[in-house]
Amino acid sequence: MEIHEWMINYTRQTEWIDRRGIFLWIAFYAGGLGGGLYLVSLYFNSLLGMFISWLIIAVVKGGTHLVYLGKPLRFWRIVLRPNSSWLARGIIFVLTFVVFALIQLAFSYWLPGTAIEIVFKVLAGISALAVTVYTGFVLNTVKAVPFWNSTMLPLLFVLCGILGGFGLSVIIGLSGGNVDIHAAETGSRWLLIANALLIAIYLIAAAHRETTGKKSVMEQMRGNLAPVFWIGIVTLGIIIPLVIAFSSYFVGDISSAMIITGVICEIIGGLALRYCVLKAGAYKPLVAIAS
Amino acid sequence: MRWGMVVDLTKCIRCYACIAACRIEHFLPIGMSWPRLVAMETGGDHPTVSTYSVRCNQCHDAPCVEVCPTGATYQREDGIIAIDQDKCVGCRYCIIACPYQNRTFLSKDKDKGFFPGRVETDFEKAGKKLYRHQVGTTEKCNFCAERIDAGLAKGLKPGIDRDATPACVNTCPAQALTFGDLDDPESEVSRLIREKGAFQLHPEYDTDPSVYFIDGKIGYSDEPEIKDDSRQEPVRT
Repeated sequence: MEIHEWMINYTRQTEWIDRRGIFLWIAFYAGGLGGGLYLVSLYFNSLLGMFISWLIIAVVKGGTHLVYLGKPLRFWRIVLRPNSSWLARGIIFVLTFVVFALIQLAFSYWLPGTAIEIVFKVLAGISALAVTVYTGFVLNTVKAVPFWNSTMLPLLFVLCGILGGFGLSVIIGLSGGNVDIHAAETGSRWLLIANALLIAIYLIAAAHRETTGKKSVMEQMRGNLAPVFWIGIVTLGIIIPLVIAFSSYFVGDISSAMIITGVICEIIGGLALRYCVLKAGAYKPLVAIAS
Repeated sequence: MRWGMVVDLTKCIRCYACIAACRIEHFLPIGMSWPRLVAMETGGDHPTVSTYSVRCNQCHDAPCVEVCPTGATYQREDGIIAIDQDKCVGCRYCIIACPYQNRTFLSKDKDKGFFPGRVETDFEKAGKKLYRHQVGTTEKCNFCAERIDAGLAKGLKPGIDRDATPACVNTCPAQALTFGDLDDPESEVSRLIREKGAFQLHPEYDTDPSVYFIDGKIGYSDEPEIKDDSRQEPVRT
């Protein structure tokens, strides 16, 4: 007979990160990045940025979600319970974004400056924000995993998404897109600091949320996830982009290669953050043993 | 009416009969197990083996029902949490949300057949006709809802009459499992809960499970102390 070790030890969740769960990890990050890029592109009125964000959400996020499902052909059923399920709400947000943003892109390309274009920009912008934030709610409503059960998680995911959006918009600007690179760099700089602070506060709060939450934090900082945390989140996601951002602030112009390196590091950091959050989520033992 | 179960851990003899009965009753694929028997050693120098027979708790306030985006997981009027396999999309949100980790995703590697690459046994062939399991969906214990429904239709009483009672309860040779109506104060389950101080697992999640335990060996604390250097080792029985 099979022995179910997870019932008497703290065990991490596996369904949403191991094996095919990797697709869900990518889908969750792509939603944040695509939504963040759309919002930043709206600010800069960058049509190319909006189109890329649409591709990220419609193709990358939508595709990886579909691949993850056990029964992908029943995909349409997933929107039937928005009254109680954040996953259903999230997929509705994705679908509305895909439709509204596509109409907006068409109007912006062929009929720019019209009232209807502005209406669809607002609608698509609201949907993009919802796409960015919903994954945080999908996780933080799970009471069984104390590490996720935090109101800060949606905020962290939104900040991380917009940070990635600013990063990608810098690359779009360098490629000749309609983006104010200086403004995008300034936005990145402040969001990097805010993001680093929020990650620190989130971890401190999680460590004080039951023994299971503390174990999740320790798993990230000292356990098997430590390389991903220290190299992925801290070094690549925070320190290197911060050094590059402040170099450009104090030194002045820096090379495009350095800027692109910083953006790539930011994106790796965002992916690492989602990975650690998903991977470190742990359950209490089902059966508690008296010590 | 709310169906519930009491597991008397002091009577359990770790024979795995409940698990075997469930496997036969529902023609479970080889990699799938709805009820599970947790066996562990407790007590330092002179350890004793303790067990927990666990299964879906059929929670009154079930988080799996709340998070299911398709409505595939639903609560029946009798409190049983059921899954409509034809509606399940395999998103696994219910597995994530269950604090008791009592749901299993049926992936292809869990449904290889009893003898992979060989001709199916008659048992497997019969199972595919009588109890279809869908790869790519989530499964769990349903308190043998089909037995309860069929029994009630014949005027039988679940928990009393064998034909209307879950297979694991019928088969338990030590009578460690008791089934009945939690809403009926005169039922055997209500009496056991009242008189023997039966408890639910993880009440802090406010899910109000319908499975209760009577515990003679292992205590329950809200925040268990499990040290990394003294992990409890599960043992084979």
